[in-house]
Amino acid sequence: MSIEGLDRVLEADPPAGSVLLVTGGEGTLKSSLVLAMMSRYLESSAEHGLYASLEQTRDSHLKNMESIGIRWHENLHIFDYRDMRVEWKDHNLDMFSMTKDVLDTYIDRYRDLTLFAMDSLNALYALSPKANHRRNVYDFLTALRDRGLTSILILETGDEVGKGGERFLSDGIIELGVIESYDGVKRYLQIRKMRGARHQMEKHHLVVKPGGLEVLGPIYGPATTSCG
Amino acid sequence: MSLASVGGALIEETNLGKDDREEILSRFVKPNKDILILSILGERPMCGYDLIKEIYRRYNVLLSQGAVYPILYSMEAEGILRAEYSRGNMKTKFYTLTPKGKEVMKRKIGNMVYALEYLLSFLKGSCSG
Repeated sequence: MSIEGLDRVLEADPPAGSVLLVTGGEGTLKSSLVLAMMSRYLESSAEHGLYASLEQTRDSHLKNMESIGIRWHENLHIFDYRDMRVEWKDHNLDMFSMTKDVLDTYIDRYRDLTLFAMDSLNALYALSPKANHRRNVYDFLTALRDRGLTSILILETGDEVGKGGERFLSDGIIELGVIESYDGVKRYLQIRKMRGARHQMEKHHLVVKPGGLEVLGPIYGPATTSCG
Repeated sequence: MSLASVGGALIEETNLGKDDREEILSRFVKPNKDILILSILGERPMCGYDLIKEIYRRYNVLLSQGAVYPILYSMEAEGILRAEYSRGNMKTKFYTLTPKGKEVMKRKIGNMVYALEYLLSFLKGSCSG
């Protein structure tokens, strides 16, 4: 599961069944990175992936992908909750449980579904009962692991960060951000944690190029490696 | 003898209660929801909300939204369903069967009826003794 240049930072794919967090502020390409990683992985396998989007519609994601040159693969199913939320607006839907049902329905339909992404955890939290929040997060991550899925959870940094203990519970954290330097504003990608895979620790330059996203070298100084 | 009458007779004989019947129906409806959705949409266009209510009305089984909307989207992507907004309502998508969807529905219902009748031909023999 990769994009061009990610192998500069991460020496191997995270072990299958890992739960990864992709964190960052607005405009740091979190959704694009995850969609690009999933699409590229699916190009070279016969597997299926599910991208569950609570905020943006499927069409909106597809347009964004096209605009920055990310090729969508037909085995990447983008499920948005728009219709469900519009039609059931007068009902209190439990989004944790609903998302597990969505996942099981796709697994039932596409037996070789191995990848899952949730965009975003913040929206999932906002639309779920506040009681037993940490328990819900723990149960949700356990449900993902029980199904053997490699999962990527998008978490926008802000008010809710860390409340669900997701940073401790996840197997890996990819942080995206923006740095203002003397030669302009740069986006970066940094692996903060990755169990079971060696990785660089530095912030690496993340760019949008005609064919999609690419990870370039470290923004500051030479790279150093850490074990996962 | 029809499937329904054999089923009804067996239920009468075994004194199944309302809860048991609902449980049996639920066990049948959930794994076969694709066919039931196709069959209902073959009668008239519906949105996801109406479809869930209609399945509940017919079978007394309340399907999760998370079990129905993914099927609608997948079937639309596979060219089995067509989704359209109705005039004056750009919020709700209504689903209808495409010509391919009608073929798929007929084939799936045919397969199910064949399988059930085949099973029942043995089960009827077991009960008659």
